[in-house]
This record gives sequence, structure tokens and C-alpha cells, in this order.
Amino acid sequence: MTPVVDLQGVSRVYRLGAVEVWALREVWLRIYPGEFVAIMGPSGSGKSTLLHVMGCLDRPTGGTYLLDGQDTSRLTDDALSEVRNRKVGFVFQTFNLLPRLTALQNVELPLLYAGVPRWQRRRRAAELLARVGLADRMHHRPHELSGGQQQRVAVARALVNDPAIVLADEPTGNLDSRSGEEVLALFQELNDSGVTIALVTHDPEVAEHARRVVGLRDGRLVRDEPVPRPRRARDVGGHVPHEGTTSSGV
Amino acid sequence: MIVGLGEAFLVALEALRTNPLRSVLTTLGVVIGVAAVIALVSTGQAARSRVVGEFASLGPDLLWVLPGKAEQGQQFATQEGRFTLTDSDAHAIRREARAVSGVAPWLQTSVEVAAGGRREVTTVIGTTPDYLQVRALQLEVGRFLSEGDGQRRKRVVVLGPVLARQLFRTSELALGGRVVINGRAFEVVGVLRPQGQVLGVDLDDRAYIPFSTAQLLFSVNYASFLFVKAQDTASVLRAKREVERVLRREHGEEDFTVLTQSQFLGALDAILRVLTLALSSIAAISLLVGGIGIMNIMLVSVTERTREIGIRKAVGAKRADILTQFLMEAVAVSLVGGILGMGVGLGASWVISGRLLNQPLSAVSAVPVVVLAFSFSVLVGVVFGVYPAWRAARLDPIQALRYE
Repeated sequence: MTPVVDLQGVSRVYRLGAVEVWALREVWLRIYPGEFVAIMGPSGSGKSTLLHVMGCLDRPTGGTYLLDGQDTSRLTDDALSEVRNRKVGFVFQTFNLLPRLTALQNVELPLLYAGVPRWQRRRRAAELLARVGLADRMHHRPHELSGGQQQRVAVARALVNDPAIVLADEPTGNLDSRSGEEVLALFQELNDSGVTIALVTHDPEVAEHARRVVGLRDGRLVRDEPVPRPRRARDVGGHVPHEGTTSSGV
Repeated sequence: MIVGLGEAFLVALEALRTNPLRSVLTTLGVVIGVAAVIALVSTGQAARSRVVGEFASLGPDLLWVLPGKAEQGQQFATQEGRFTLTDSDAHAIRREARAVSGVAPWLQTSVEVAAGGRREVTTVIGTTPDYLQVRALQLEVGRFLSEGDGQRRKRVVVLGPVLARQLFRTSELALGGRVVINGRAFEVVGVLRPQGQVLGVDLDDRAYIPFSTAQLLFSVNYASFLFVKAQDTASVLRAKREVERVLRREHGEEDFTVLTQSQFLGALDAILRVLTLALSSIAAISLLVGGIGIMNIMLVSVTERTREIGIRKAVGAKRADILTQFLMEAVAVSLVGGILGMGVGLGASWVISGRLLNQPLSAVSAVPVVVLAFSFSVLVGVVFGVYPAWRAARLDPIQALRYE
């Protein structure tokens, strides 16, 4: 089976004037379809850089990176955009939704850049929003949604192009524990249905929800082990009306 | 796959709606620029056709003999050789040029004209009896200047109707009255019928005195220029050749210029064209300023939306997508501004040409102006939008996502 992520001795060096900073040092890592990997490490350990390289937002300065079997080391910026569009779904700590767009339009965005016609975009985005339990919030703008709801919109956006892997950067970092739990439950549910997920966190409790934990320190891989009994997030399921900050005047 | 232009235009309009005041103010810059260009170009056109029309109404069989030789490719002589034409040239032309039906020398000065305690500063013209026929003037009362007046340098004057009314109240009272011109007393022998205005100049407040008297009065021995009338429209060019032949022989050199009415109109038209162009160029500067306004706002907008750009790139937008998006916003601003400016400009020129110039704006003449304004405003949007858009397109997605 082809690994979704195949990092072969990948390094990433930043040059700050005369100083070289090794964010990643010869990292070897494979993630296979259907896996749910948590990437752990203290701040400055290189976990965000690793996620950026895996998501083709950044290029390695050494080694080779195959994403879904495709060598991405020598691709142009535009080609990387296309790879991100087709193979990667991002979920960020700060949600990163476009504030002017409705939930539906936000979820449509990757399809827009994939050149999918409008009516098809609409249908597909609506499907995904229903899947994350926000069918009744489709025409709300981000500021009309709670943090947990916003993050679920972001998850729907990440899934809309049917990517090879979903990459999440501290997805629960800006959420209260209850909403965080819901988002983790959503990730587990998606993973159960076959979606490959890599999640960056510094929180061991969050990491316990994955099936495999990878540890980073000073840009090196220092730990890689399965989680024998992943902790199940309390699956509240669907949208949660008593979540407070929702106050749209609709 | 790059997002289509129609889609990008809708996204752009959406973005502009989120900051309405800013969008309106930026658009206003373009509105003013385009309106100014359109108003000046089309008013200039209307003014030109009015002026040319008035000159054309003088008659196609008219020729002008001007002192000095025009340079190759030019229609008017430069200052040198201003005083080469004389009364005897007029006589020679009248004697020998067969295709010519009348010749009138012209000498003009602005002086004070007084009668019975009233004074007017007006144009006094020295000319000969032929002038009446050359310019097809008609008398209200009395007679025009005669050959005898010229030969004896008599101090007689023919008044324009407006001047006659100003000095004597009525034309009848003017006839036989005394007028003091430049300190000398003149007898009024006739009053002309009204001619109206040409180029805003009133032709009816002038005074006409014999050419020889005028030379004496103003102490000069030349004519400003000669009016020549051809026998008919068909013989204009023959008349021109004859006049040139006679004057070459009289002067021994070619120190004069003969212009037909069509040449004169051409030259006049060219001058007005340049004038219109100059005014429009000044107006175009305001369009330029409008463009700079767009660029300024777009640069601000790109900075403010750095994070948005990062997000769009993270989900798969290419450079061209981002470039198109911001370029479209600039073009949308300038296009909307262009359309509004076109309305304002056409409205203004309709008022100006219709009310002030009495020259209704024709739909035909408006078409090139509209096309011009439309393409110009799109051009402004592209030119001033491309740099901010390019800055947006080349942002690094990671940096952009980190931007607060």
C-alpha cells in the first residue's frame, strides 16, 4: 500500500542572517491511509514546520517528500497550490474562515479553485456541512457561529475536496474543553469512516485520541508508537444548540 | 484550474460591498476624472462644430489674402512680413483677376467713438465699397462707403446697428449725425442691417470708414489683410491662382498667403482641435489621480487581507487566482466609476452644448467618447491595480497565515 505521507530524510533549514536554524533534521516518517496520527512536541520542536511540509505549504530544504506517491520536492508554487487543493485539507487552531463569507461559501472555497461549477459546489458543500452537523447553519457567517461550530465548518472545508489527508494544527487549542471534545469526536468519527488524519498538538490528552503518536524534539523524531487503546471522545453528535455564543438574528 | 473571470468579478463586487464608504470614495475619484474628460471632449467637439459652422456660413466663395508667406506645411504666416499688403494690391487684383468679383482691403483698430456726449470703445474698420458685396451686407438706412469717399479720403462713417443705437438711439437719428473718431469728426452716411455674432463677437457694434481715410487716421500704409470674393463657388481655385499671380508680379516675391475658405476652416479646426486636446489632457490628469487613489486603496486592502490571501492559497488558490481577484476589484471600481462618470460627463456636456452653445449633442459624436471613457477606465483599473494584485499574488502562504 502506498503511504499517504512518505518523508525520506526531510530537513528544513531557515537562514536568519548568518545563523542556520534546523527546524527539521532528517525526519523519516510514513503515514498510511486510514491512520490517525498525533504529532507531539513542545513549542519550537518543529511540529508546525513538519505539518507545513506535509501540507505542501512549505518545501523541504533536504530529503525527499512523497505525498500520495507524488514527489513534491521540485514543484513550483502553483503546482504546490494544486497539490494542496486536491490532496490536503487543513484545519487550523484559529479556524481561518473568511469572515465575509457564509459557512457554505467557506466550505465551497477549495472547490472554487478546483474549477467545480457553482451548482455542484453548492451541493457538495451543503453535504459536508450536514455531515459535520451544521445543516441549519449554512448561511451564517463565522461571527454568528460558536468556536466549535466554526471549527466544524473548517473541518467540512478540509474534507470537501476529498483529500488524501487532513492536517490539523492544534485544532482544539482555541476551544473550551466541551467544544474541543466535540471536534475530537468528529475527527474520530471521520477516521472510523476511513479519513487519514495527522494532528499536531502539545496536549497529551488530545494526542491520546489518535491511534499513533509521533514525538518531535529539536527537529528530530524522538518517539513513534501506537496508542494501544485510544481514548474515545464523548460523541455529542450533531450541532449543540446550548453552546452560548450563537446569537444570529436569523 | 484558474477561476473564471465572471466568477472573479462577482467575488470582487462582494469584497467591495463590505467596505462601502471606502469603495464609494475611491470610485468617486474615477467618476470625476472620467466625467471631466467626457465633458471637455464633447463640449470641445460641439464648440468646434459651432465655430466651424459659423465660419462656413460666411460663404464658400470667400478668400483671405494674408501678409507673409506661410511655411511649408503651415497655413498661417509667422509674424515677419506683416505689412506687405497694400491698397494698390487690392486694385491690381480687381483690375486683372477675372475670376474675382470683389476685393476689399481691411484695416482694423479699436478706438473710442463718441457722439452727443456718448462714448463707446469699439472696432473701427477701414475698407472699400466692395466690402458690402464681398460680405453680402445690407443697409438699413443711407448708403455704404463709395469710391468717391475713398478717393477724397472723406471723413464719412457707416455704423453697425447696435453702435448706431448706442450713440443715437435709432438708426434714423444716426443718419446725418456727427461721430468723433480718434479726435476727428465723421459724418454718418449709413447704418447696416444686423448681422449677428460670430464666435461670440458682435459684428453689429462696428464702424466702417473709407480705407484711405483709415490709413491717414491711424498713420499706416498697409492693409491687415484683403477679402476676396470669387465669381462663384466653382471658380474659387481659379481665383486663388489669379490672385497669387497678380501679387507675385506686384511684389516681385511671394510674401503673402492666399487661403480659401476650406483652408481657413481647416486651420481653424486644427487650432480648436489642439485646444480641445489640451483641455482634455488636463482633465485626464484627474483621471490619473483617481487611478492613484485606486492603487493606494488596493495596497491597503492587500495588507488588511493578508490572512485571507493565506487562507485562499492554503486551500489551493494559485498566483493567477489571487492576482485576478485583486485586479478584478480594481477594475470593478474603475469600471463602475467609468460608467457613472460617463453619465455625469454626458449630462454636463449636454447642458453646456445645448444651452450655452446652442449646438445639441449628437448621438453619433457621443459614441467614440463613450467607447473612449469605457476603455480608459478599464485601463486605469488594470494599470493601477496590477501592482497591488501582484504583491498579493506573490505572498508566501505561511507568512500570510501568521499575519495578525
